[in-house]
Amino acid sequence: MQASQIIHAYKQAPWRVQRQYVGAFLLTVIALALVAALYLDVTSRTALAGREIQDLRTEIAALQRSNADLETELANITSSAVMQRRALELGYRPIQPGELDYVFVPGYVAPEPAILLAAVDAPLPPPSLPEEYSQSLLEWLDESLRSGMALP
Amino acid sequence: MRQQYAIRSLVVMTGLVFVGIAVLVQIVRIQNSEQAKIFLANGDMYAGEFYTFYPERGEIYDRNGHLLAGNRTVYEVGVSLPEMKDVNALAYVLSVYLNMTEEEIKDKLLNSPETWTYIVIKDYVDAGAVDALQQVIKQLEDADDNRLDGLWFKPHFTRSYPEKSLASNVLGFVTRDGRGYFGVEEKYNDLLAGNPVQLWVPRDPNKAIEIPKVPNGTTLVLTLDRDLQAKVEAILDESLSEYGAKNGTIVVMDPKTGEILAMASTPRMDLNNYTDYFQIFDNGSAYNRSIGMAYEAGSVVKILTMAAALDTGVVTPETTYIDTGSITVGGITIQNWNRQPWGQRNMTECLQHSLNVCLAWVATQMGSPTFYSYMERFGLGHRTGVDLAGEAMGRLKVPGDSDWYPVDLGTNAFGQGLTVTPLQMMMAATAIANDGQMVTPHVLYAMIRDGHQYNIPSQYAGSPIKPETAHTLNEMLTVSLQNESASALLPGYRVAGKTGTAQIPTPLGYDPNNTNVSFIGWGPVDDPQFMIYVWLQEPTTSIWSSETAAPVFSRVAEQTVIALNIPPDIVRLQYGSR
Repeated sequence: MQASQIIHAYKQAPWRVQRQYVGAFLLTVIALALVAALYLDVTSRTALAGREIQDLRTEIAALQRSNADLETELANITSSAVMQRRALELGYRPIQPGELDYVFVPGYVAPEPAILLAAVDAPLPPPSLPEEYSQSLLEWLDESLRSGMALP
Repeated sequence: MRQQYAIRSLVVMTGLVFVGIAVLVQIVRIQNSEQAKIFLANGDMYAGEFYTFYPERGEIYDRNGHLLAGNRTVYEVGVSLPEMKDVNALAYVLSVYLNMTEEEIKDKLLNSPETWTYIVIKDYVDAGAVDALQQVIKQLEDADDNRLDGLWFKPHFTRSYPEKSLASNVLGFVTRDGRGYFGVEEKYNDLLAGNPVQLWVPRDPNKAIEIPKVPNGTTLVLTLDRDLQAKVEAILDESLSEYGAKNGTIVVMDPKTGEILAMASTPRMDLNNYTDYFQIFDNGSAYNRSIGMAYEAGSVVKILTMAAALDTGVVTPETTYIDTGSITVGGITIQNWNRQPWGQRNMTECLQHSLNVCLAWVATQMGSPTFYSYMERFGLGHRTGVDLAGEAMGRLKVPGDSDWYPVDLGTNAFGQGLTVTPLQMMMAATAIANDGQMVTPHVLYAMIRDGHQYNIPSQYAGSPIKPETAHTLNEMLTVSLQNESASALLPGYRVAGKTGTAQIPTPLGYDPNNTNVSFIGWGPVDDPQFMIYVWLQEPTTSIWSSETAAPVFSRVAEQTVIALNIPPDIVRLQYGSR
């Protein structure tokens, strides 16, 4: 009789139990929704970045073609024959050996043949895409938890 | 009442559960059906495409940074058949801008295999034509006219040579399949072309990171000086016209490093129209005569014979020889160029008067083993190793060869019966100009890859003679040139050199009327900074080198000292002593 009374005292009302189940269910749904939202967010950002990379690659290819075209065009309009013609039109003429004066400049070192480093594209830095774009959601969560970082 | 609701709820719930289960079953069934596999396969097919990434071909510059070979954009013009709306409109518009007939275009579009969805109408279309076509398309689109739908322009690179025919014999050319032919383009084709990469390119933007960056081909910097090259080519052209020669070649080289500063040869071609090759050249060896065409060079070879004799101590500059006008070697009589006796002469005079008999005697004094050993050490009969495609070996017959006869020792001594390329002679002569050390001629100054420049060091090619021998012979050649051929001299500069007038062998013996004239020289003698070789084929105004090739040497030397900023000896020695 004593024991039965004690159990009865701690037994919850049925509506409270139902509310707890509903609460737990809703919590699970909210958690799943959060995970899905995060996943969707990361995935969409990855897709956007990927698309941006594709666009940039296309742009780089177009710029490289444009660079090559401009360089060739510049070479065309400064070619030996063109420059010679332009010089003659401007009233210049080829120098004759007797017209040359040589000046002694102490310490002067004649320039070496052209170093073309300046004309060369500098090497691109290694890809700096954040790891968030290449990690799975679980990897990202795991790393965040391990490093004690605050989740966004 | 409550029980009634409970039953209804149960029925609805059961129904929903069944619907849910049915949906799940259907999902699983569809996912694993035969059609699903086809859909998946189709999906994979459109998930990306196999694509070959061709790197941009490396550029070629001269030593001062002038572009000699670059790239420019051209377009492949094609039509996507599923998108095509009006074949007549397409054929008409394309025929206007692509220099094709409407019938040609219609034939391509209407008579293609059924499985084809894309037809290439024309490739290597200039950007100007494509710009014009794009303007037409835009105008039509603005007017909601879609008759030109389906037209595609795919850009890609093609080779471009801004200097056109300048240094064409050195550069070579690249055909549409991307392969280099002749010269630098062929020799360094692998470096210039880079490594094409073929891979599956996904359309999924999530996988964009997997696309590799294809490095461009290596850029090359040549030892050529563009402006000097232009001047040398102009002088060569003038000389051919002035002396009525069939063809010719002139090479300017730094004898200390082997760097080729200019290399002119005829004929030349505009490299942008490489298909003209077959109209211009009979055979590949004529593309660059400096390296591809071996010939009997005549008396310029005497400097090697004399170098060998001085080096072995068989003769000294003061050694005298009584020239009776002929000498018999191997049972055959050899005569001088004018068939006259020259009396007692020392070795310098033998060179000065280019006496065949005297040099044949010198060779016999050395003997065959010594003479041919020296000729091989000078590199005759072997390729120089110059970094240009299409180099000929020349021919040096040696004792033991089936076609070698004892008389060859005598004739070889003055450059008959053996063949050399101009560059072989130059390489051998670097030993004389360069304190006994021979250097390998080369045209590559540096390579540029990934933003780094790698300079190419000069290559030592042996020491066939002692430094003292080189100094002695230098002096002999300077003195003999001053007395022999004034037309080769360059006022203000001491130069050493030797003429060469050679008869041309034919299947019926030597041609009595035509000659090959050559000249090799270098300067300033105390500090050689240039070496020049001139070869004119069959000049008609004079058969003698001293009247044709020698003045050409002088003109080239005059331009070379200006281009290389080499002051006259008096100025240089005055300031050099400070």
